[in-house]
Amino acid sequence: MTTIRTPSADDPRVMLEQQAGAFEPIPPYPPRTEREAEFYTLGEGEMFVNMGPQHPSTHGVLRIVLKLRGEQVVDLDPVLGYLHRGVEKLAENADYHHTIAYMDPLEYISSLFCEWPAVLAFEQLLDVQVPRRAEYIRVLSTELNRIASHSLFMGWFALDLGGLTPILWSFIERDEIVEMLAALTGARMLFNYMRIGGVNGDLNHEFMSRLGTWMSRAASQVEANTTLLNENEIFVRRARGLGKMDRETALRMCMTGPNLRATGVPFDVRRAHPYSVFPELDFDIPTRTEGDSLARYLLRVDEVRQSLRIIDQCLHQMPDGPVMAKLPRRLTPRPGRAYAAIESPRGQYAVYAMSDGTDQPFRLRIHDPSFLHLQSVGLLMPGNLVADTMAIMASLDPVMGGVDK
Amino acid sequence: MSDLALKRRLEARLAKRLRGPVRQRHDQTEIRIDPGEVPDVLRTLHDDPALRFEFLSDLCGVDTGVVMQVVYHLWSETTSDWLRVIADGLSREDPRVPSITFLWKGAEWMEREAYDMFGITFEGNRDLRRIYMPPDYTSFPLRKDFFLADDAARSPGAGVRHMEQTHTPRNAAPGTAIRVAKES
Repeated sequence: MTTIRTPSADDPRVMLEQQAGAFEPIPPYPPRTEREAEFYTLGEGEMFVNMGPQHPSTHGVLRIVLKLRGEQVVDLDPVLGYLHRGVEKLAENADYHHTIAYMDPLEYISSLFCEWPAVLAFEQLLDVQVPRRAEYIRVLSTELNRIASHSLFMGWFALDLGGLTPILWSFIERDEIVEMLAALTGARMLFNYMRIGGVNGDLNHEFMSRLGTWMSRAASQVEANTTLLNENEIFVRRARGLGKMDRETALRMCMTGPNLRATGVPFDVRRAHPYSVFPELDFDIPTRTEGDSLARYLLRVDEVRQSLRIIDQCLHQMPDGPVMAKLPRRLTPRPGRAYAAIESPRGQYAVYAMSDGTDQPFRLRIHDPSFLHLQSVGLLMPGNLVADTMAIMASLDPVMGGVDK
Repeated sequence: MSDLALKRRLEARLAKRLRGPVRQRHDQTEIRIDPGEVPDVLRTLHDDPALRFEFLSDLCGVDTGVVMQVVYHLWSETTSDWLRVIADGLSREDPRVPSITFLWKGAEWMEREAYDMFGITFEGNRDLRRIYMPPDYTSFPLRKDFFLADDAARSPGAGVRHMEQTHTPRNAAPGTAIRVAKES
């Protein structure tokens, strides 16, 4: 009996034998589950189209097998794992400080949000009190990162709908913020800035002067950039009513963040389960009730405005003091379990950490919102046209680095 | 910090089904149950008007080195705590637990992930197949007896080997140290 083997990613022969980029949509092995058997059986007039893994609008390396009838999507099967790095396993073999560097490349668009829950969970394990100035710096830097992430979303979304200009505009905004954060953290993308017990380095002159210049025109710039899309009839007509999701389904699908709030649920971890200094800050949680792609887009615009409010308050309320708690170099928390969640631009980002008394985490679970949003694509896409699948996916804003971990 | 009223409510409603005391630390409340009780307890937590844990925040597997666990984190507007439900005592040879996709359909992929990483079978999940690793992969990477190639400190004689390996290193000395969780 011969067993059929699909090439494994760590098999060195793959590079030699397999032609790059050739993927058969139908897997060369018998179906493993009921659902797989059902999906890979073609009905009358149906066909498979393989989208990805190298596709400009899959936001990373994702393969989606689409089952089509004519131009209409009947069903789909996302195939993940092309970016799987096994961060959870690596973290079990790294010490606590080292783990933070592994968290960065998860959602590389908003790296600071990946570091934060890990640091929070470790601080709970260690019972560390973080200095207030460090908390404010964390909020300030992450809200900047949120704006950078959302502005990139707006560009991407328009790009996937066929508009080329907004991405150029949004990269201008993102680049200014990224340069600002580079002045603060030393890196443009993978910051590695948070530390257990504080942050790595206080605010510096270059960061503050860049931030001051940017803040003086940020609010008007947001309005200017969004008029490009908000009043664009082609864009609005295309996005309205597309990928509609109702409140109950969104909760049942464990969705969070802007995608959940666009259906009318005011769930924001910053308010639902406050962490850091968010209880002291004054901001609103925008919600919308339509639950379609346009609502998800408009909601993110509203969130950018709220982030600007938060940044403004941080700058005014920030106390003086140290930015790091006093901690030993080698951390050995008592055995225990901790769970920390934050509101990232995509939703609830959480880390569940277990300690066994050594200097390495016993278990580090990373909960990524993109993973669950990508799952709900399976509910939203059927019935739509192939071209709309891209628009729906872009409106959910998944980042494959986080989905695949 | 912890919500003591929640502790009392949980003790009142789940009394017999709890395995051990309700534990609280920081902003988290932790209960342990038998794997067979999962659908029943989570339905109670979801539906009971005094609890209303409508939001599944996270689902993950844990290998303690002795047993397997499935850990659920829930959120409710009735409390300021995260509720951690641990389905404890799954056997490491054949870990099985009922699926909760009947309550939260979104748990489907998280269960697939736990299956992929730990080999935990979720009975009732209609699509339980590997999600990250290739379909012909045979081992479960996050189990404690899966050693990384460079994890030589913990696995005597483990050395560098092919990443796809069965659970214990073939050339490991008997009694090779597996990391075992310590409970506080």
